[in-house]
Parts: sequence; C-alpha cells; structure tokens
Amino acid sequence: MSFDRFAFTRRQGLKAVLASAAGGALGAFGRVADAQAQTRAETLRHVLAGTVNTLDPTTPGATRESFGLSTAVYDRLASYGRKQVNGSWVFDFDNIRGELAEKVDRSADGRTFTFHLRKGATWHDGSPVTAEDVKWSLDRAVSAKSLAAGQIATGSLVKPEQFKVLGEGVVEVSLDRPDRLALANLAVPLSPMFNSTLARRNATAEDPWAQTWLKENTAGGGAYVVEQYKSGQQTILKRNEAWKNGAGGMLPYFRRVIAQTVPEAATRANLLERGDADIAIDLQSSDISALEARGKIKLVATPQINGFTAIVFNTRMAPFDNPKVRAALAAALPYEAMFEAALFRRGRALFGATWTEAPNGTFPQPLPFRTDPAKAKALLAEAGFPNGFKTTFSFSAGVAAVAEPMATLIREALGAVGVDVSIQKLPPAQMASMEVERRVPFFISAGTAWLPAPDYFLRNYFTGDHRWNFSGFSDPKLDALAQAARFEADAATYEATCRQMVDIAARDVPMIMVWQPNQDAVMAPAIDGYTYWFHGQVDYRDLRRA
Amino acid sequence: MSALLNIGRRVGKHLLASLPALFGVVLFTFLLMRVLPGDPAAFFASGPNAGQAEMAQIRETMGLDRPIPEQFVRYVGDLARGNLGQSMTTGQPVIADLAERMPASLELTLFALVLALALALPLGILAALRPNSLLDHGVRFVCTLGVCVPTFVTGLLLIYVFYYLLGLAPDPTGRVDIFAAPPPGITGFLLIDFLLVGDLAGWKAAFGQLILPACTMALFVLAPLARMTRASLLSVLGSDFIRTARSVGMSDWRVVVVYALRNALLPVLTIIGIVFSTMLGANVLVEKVFSWPGIGSYALDALLASDYAPVQGFVLLIAVIFVMVNLIIDVLYGIVDPRISLQ
Repeated sequence: MSFDRFAFTRRQGLKAVLASAAGGALGAFGRVADAQAQTRAETLRHVLAGTVNTLDPTTPGATRESFGLSTAVYDRLASYGRKQVNGSWVFDFDNIRGELAEKVDRSADGRTFTFHLRKGATWHDGSPVTAEDVKWSLDRAVSAKSLAAGQIATGSLVKPEQFKVLGEGVVEVSLDRPDRLALANLAVPLSPMFNSTLARRNATAEDPWAQTWLKENTAGGGAYVVEQYKSGQQTILKRNEAWKNGAGGMLPYFRRVIAQTVPEAATRANLLERGDADIAIDLQSSDISALEARGKIKLVATPQINGFTAIVFNTRMAPFDNPKVRAALAAALPYEAMFEAALFRRGRALFGATWTEAPNGTFPQPLPFRTDPAKAKALLAEAGFPNGFKTTFSFSAGVAAVAEPMATLIREALGAVGVDVSIQKLPPAQMASMEVERRVPFFISAGTAWLPAPDYFLRNYFTGDHRWNFSGFSDPKLDALAQAARFEADAATYEATCRQMVDIAARDVPMIMVWQPNQDAVMAPAIDGYTYWFHGQVDYRDLRRA
Repeated sequence: MSALLNIGRRVGKHLLASLPALFGVVLFTFLLMRVLPGDPAAFFASGPNAGQAEMAQIRETMGLDRPIPEQFVRYVGDLARGNLGQSMTTGQPVIADLAERMPASLELTLFALVLALALALPLGILAALRPNSLLDHGVRFVCTLGVCVPTFVTGLLLIYVFYYLLGLAPDPTGRVDIFAAPPPGITGFLLIDFLLVGDLAGWKAAFGQLILPACTMALFVLAPLARMTRASLLSVLGSDFIRTARSVGMSDWRVVVVYALRNALLPVLTIIGIVFSTMLGANVLVEKVFSWPGIGSYALDALLASDYAPVQGFVLLIAVIFVMVNLIIDVLYGIVDPRISLQ
C-alpha cells in the first residue's frame, strides 16, 4: 500500500480559490474542490454507512464493506456474469466467466477443473502471475484460519491436495465428488488470488499465511490499487492501468475511487443531492421516495434476488416446536399490511402463493402463506392452545426502521387470534448472541446467499447447526434431500429434489421468508452501469460517468 | 519559588490520589463489558458459514476463551506495557486508533469550548448586571433553547441550512476536504499544522469544516456556562466588598471586571472542567452527524459491536483526561484564589 499524494496539489486549489473567491466573505468556507473539477469527473466518491475494517476479505470479522472493496483490489479465478433485468443490471449466477483465468475446462465427470491463466497477467508490483501464486492462494483459502475455509468448503474445496500446478499458467482443481457449487465458490470475494511472493515475504513463523500483514497491505492484481487506507474512515483507490481481466479486457472508467464512511444517513442523502457524492447504497428506505420525488438523483432499485427478510420461529423452543402452532401463526400474520407499512412495497413479496404443491424448484419463491385468522384460530385449537399463549417477538435495533412497524402489526394481528405478543428490541450484538444461543422464540432475521442456488439456500437456512439455520430446524428428509441435491448432476432430478424441499419448507413453516427487499442504490444522474451483486456491495469496476 | 513548590506538591498528591480511582475504572469497565449481554464472537462471526468453529476462532483471537481473572491479569499486564489491545471493528491496535482520533476530538472540543466561553461569559455578565431585564430573559431563552434541542438536531439543522440550502459550508464529512491533499501530520491539530507549514488555504478549509460541528457543541454547553457565570457574579455583586468598592468611587468597569468577576470565576472554572470532560466523551452524536473521525464515534461503534478493547481503552482515556483536567482546574484555582494554595 502506498500513501502517494494526490496528483493535484493544494497550491493549484489555492490559486483557483483566490482567483474566484473575491471578497472572501465566505473565506472560511472556501472550496478547494472547484479547481479539481476535471479530476473530479474521473473520481468516484462512494459514501457508505459501514466501515472497511480490513483489506483482506478473508479476515475473521471482516465487514461486508471489506468484501466489496476487495472485489476491486483482488481478482478471482472466475467471476459471475451480469445481465439486465427490467432495465437494471444484476449478477448472473448461471453465467460464470474467467477473470484471472482466461479459460476453464471442466472434465466430463465434473470432478476436475483446469484453469488456464491469462497470459501476460501481472500483479500490482509488475511481477507476472504464476500458477504457483494461484496454488498458494487456494492453499491459503483452505488452510489458514480465515473466513475462506468455511465458505469454499461449501464447494467441496477442503484440502491443499486438491490443487495442482500442471504447468506454466495451468492449475488443476480436483474434487472427490462433482459438487455443483465448486466453480461458483471460486468467484466469490472470499477466494481472492494473492501475489504469493510478496505475501510470503511478509509472512512469519506464527503467521505463515501473512494474515496480519495483509490486513493493512495488499498483494493483489485487481482493477484498483489501494492508495490510502484509513480504517473506519476512508479508502482511496487508484486504477491499475495494466489490468486486463475485466469483461472484454476493458479498463474500469474511474481513475480514482474514494470510499468514505459517513455514518449519518441524512448526511449521505444531502451529499448526493448536492452532487458532492456519487453513489450510496445504504440510505434509509423512508427517505428514498422523497429523494426520488425531488429528482436530483438517480435511483436504481433492484430486488435482492439472493436475499430475504424472514419471520423466524425457534423450532427448538415450546410452543414453536409444534408445526401446527407455526402454521397457525403463519395464517395470522398481516402480510399485506407489513409489506405496505414496513417496506413501502419496495421489494418482491414472498407470501401469498396459492399452490398446495410447489410448482417448481426455484427458491426463494412465494410460498402459500396468506392471512386467514379463522384458519389460525382453528389450527391453534388443534395444537392445544384454544386460548392462545404469550410470547416475545424480538428484533435487532439495527433493523428497527423495518422491524418496528412489522412488530406493531404482528402484535395487533396475533392479539386478534389470542396470542399475546410482547415486543423486544435488542442491541445488535445482543440480538446476535441470543440468536446463536437460540434463546429468542420468535424474531426477525435476514439473510443473503452468495450462491443463490436453491439447494444452497435450503441447505444453509433450513438445515444444520450453524447460525444461518435461524429456526434451528431439523427435518431428516430435508437434510437428506439438501445433501443429495448438492451433488446431483441431472437437471430434472435436481429440480424435483428442490421442489420436495420447498414443499417441506412451506408445510413445516420453520420460518416465513416474507420478502426480498429492494436494494436502493442512489447515485448521481450521470452514473451508469450500477450492478446489483450477490455480495450486495458496489463493484466500482462496473460504473462509469456518462 | 515556594509557591511553585507548593503547586508541585499538590500536583503530585493529586496524581497519587487518582491512581486507585483509575484502577477502579479499569476494573469496573473490564467487568462491565463482560457482564453486558452480547457476545462479540457472535456479532463478528458474519462469514457465510459462521459455525461454532469460526466463533471459537474469534474468541481465541480476542482472548475470550480464557477464564475472566486470567483475562484481567493479562489486560492489566498489557496496560502496563502501554498496550490497550486490538480493535475488531477497525482491525487496528486500540492505542493507534485513539492516538489518531484523539487530536480530532480534542481540536473540536477545545474550539467549541472557546466558542462557548466567548459567548457565555459576556452573556452571563450582561445578564447578571441587568437581572430580570429583557436582556436577562433573552439570554435565558437562548440558553434554554441551546440545552433543550438535542445536538444531533442542531447539527442536522445547521447542515441543512448552511450546506444543503445555502451551500456556504463545505460538505460535512470529516476534518478536511476529501478531494484535497492530505493535511500535514505534525501535531494532529489541523489548525496548528496548517499554520506551521504556512498553508493558509488549508487552514481556511480546515476551519470551514470545524465551524459547524463546533457551533453545534457550543450551543449545547452555552447554558451551564452562562447560567453559572450569571448566578455566581450576581451573588458576588451583592457582597460587602463590592459595596465598599463602589462607595469609594471606583469605576463600574473596574469593580465588575477586576473585583467581582475574579471572585465569581471559581465556580465557573469548576463548571468549565466538567463541561470540557463531558463534551469530550459525550460528543458522539456530533461526531456521527459530521462524520468527525473522533474518539466518541469510535467508542460508540465499538460498544454496539461489543468490541471490548476499544471501549475499555476509551473509558480509561476519558478517566485519565478527567484527572488531568481536574488537576489543571485545581492549579488554576490557586491562581484565581490565592487562599486555596495556602491551605
């Protein structure tokens, strides 16, 4: 990482200010930026609520913003494509292209992938990218104590023996079983490719994978080079002029990117409206309509096709261990009212389907949950609670804007069928630990799957003991189906397996995925090419100023 | 000479006496953080496959897998070596984070305090000289308004008017214009640094960034300062020696400024000390609204994430500052009122 000065100096700014700001009545507010208008056009200023807390996305505890930043700084072997849906760009999970690798050969049995690295590719320091670098990076991903191991294990990538250097610029990845998600896992931010010579030079005996050094330094070859990194405040990126790994070998448009943490949502909105910032993806949803109406900004609203908001029942806690109780509550929830009041209908509803057997194997898809108080009462009586019961509904203060109106409506609607709900709003860290310890009975949660394959969704959110199985759901049939689907090569069988799983999710109601909220990306009118990515962050390589 | 010695002895005594208090603060914060609900490992284990293994790994990194007494002994040992631990939120050593952010908070707070004093003292004096007049009521109104509007409302309002509507203020994000060259890092106080390198435009820009948050904070602490000045001066003005001074025909100005004000300043000084320490710790909201890279917003982020080390470090730092400020106020007492240093 280097701390180069900006290409322009403050002196130039001073001259311009002195020339223009005659009088100096506003001296205190002299705006140096004016002089740099030209450079400004080639600079993207992204204002974000969160912080980038590490330059190595695989660091345990890395924030989402760190994942986003790393996509620009590091290349991966492959990348998802992108497609246009209703006029806005979204990532295309079904279309994986090479990034650092220019070609991928997949063996007929689906158990070996041969990556051919792009000839002439270099790291940021100018040294050539070698097959050994790739091998080291993959070894690191499965061996180091980092976030990467857990992620890429979902693609059956678990041990260094699976990665072999076949020759100059050729690496082979072999699998014990033909995992459907192996290749996709090599396209996520947690499998970045490192300049192993540079990284190893900064490794120590206790830290053989240079994890400490890479937190604050980079050893990549991606589209941007980190110019300045102030953890928790801002990161400044400079374009890597030698980068050729993008779609069509194109350089990204912006020469410089400033990612700046601005905690106050109102300030972020102000900055965008004044034209001082170029893009933000985390404004308050209640502000969005007003911003749009004033017309000074451009809004790109994309349903988060790989995410969801869910109302979760703790299936390991009475009375929610009883599927009838869960079904009863599912019939009592005021779906339409919540969608309206909490989300302003900004998203895709996942309730209200009318089928009794899943029509297809896609997931998430709208499930047959509809408001029907009579049915709810009947089911409650059947479950042995004719007079209802008392329970607590919890949510994290971090999502209060959406969860608070939801909670109020839920309390009212469940009160009507005899279930007495008290509302509990908890600090984020406390909510997280209560969820993990499975001590909350009934709550709101949300998730995003990086690999939006139906089986991955169902396996992660409906099976297992890890935290993403919010409801602690355990159903032997679903467990078996989810494991089988992972290695299923036949498309028709895969679809049938997924359909069965969707049926179980709809019948046993461990949690109710209510909707997929929009991601509202607000940007300057001239910014073009914004793409919604599975990681939910801005990929600076897509953007341009029209 | 003996006066200096006297002061030195008092400073030493004061510092010694503050040691148990500081230790108490260390122990208390340490325990409090661990008693508070919220498991940092669960919060930070955000990986797509966050299982028990990942959480255990984070606990190990943070040293939370050890028994609490051992954690405390290690913590105190680290403190003795000047190591405040590692922040999970920023990924940096806490001491480096605090050192980097401290000047930002100090500069803002000091500037705001000076601004507040420059307003509060004259207002308080005027109000005391004309008690129950229209002027007095006016001052009371301004003070009440300042104290009852929450700082983030004042901040957002100022931003809305001066940045969004009028476009007079620079964008309210941090200490320097993001597009400008980074400031020279000498003392960390930008107003001083820019003067040192003779960069007037830089100084103006930094001043422009500072003025709105400083006004926000100054408005908030105007009330205690002005009200205390008024009350204290009022009681002094009614005392015998003032009547005597007036009766011997001294000028009004001399009576008020030289005799009354000096005697009235003691309680005001106490309040200044308290106000300063409070501002430093409590300006979280102002720092958040103006994206000010100070210690308040740093500590709040850490607290929300149950990130122990930064919160402990922050509390300890504030405690140390509190001790130092009290010490300085104590020394100033001696200067304002010689009787105190004689005791």
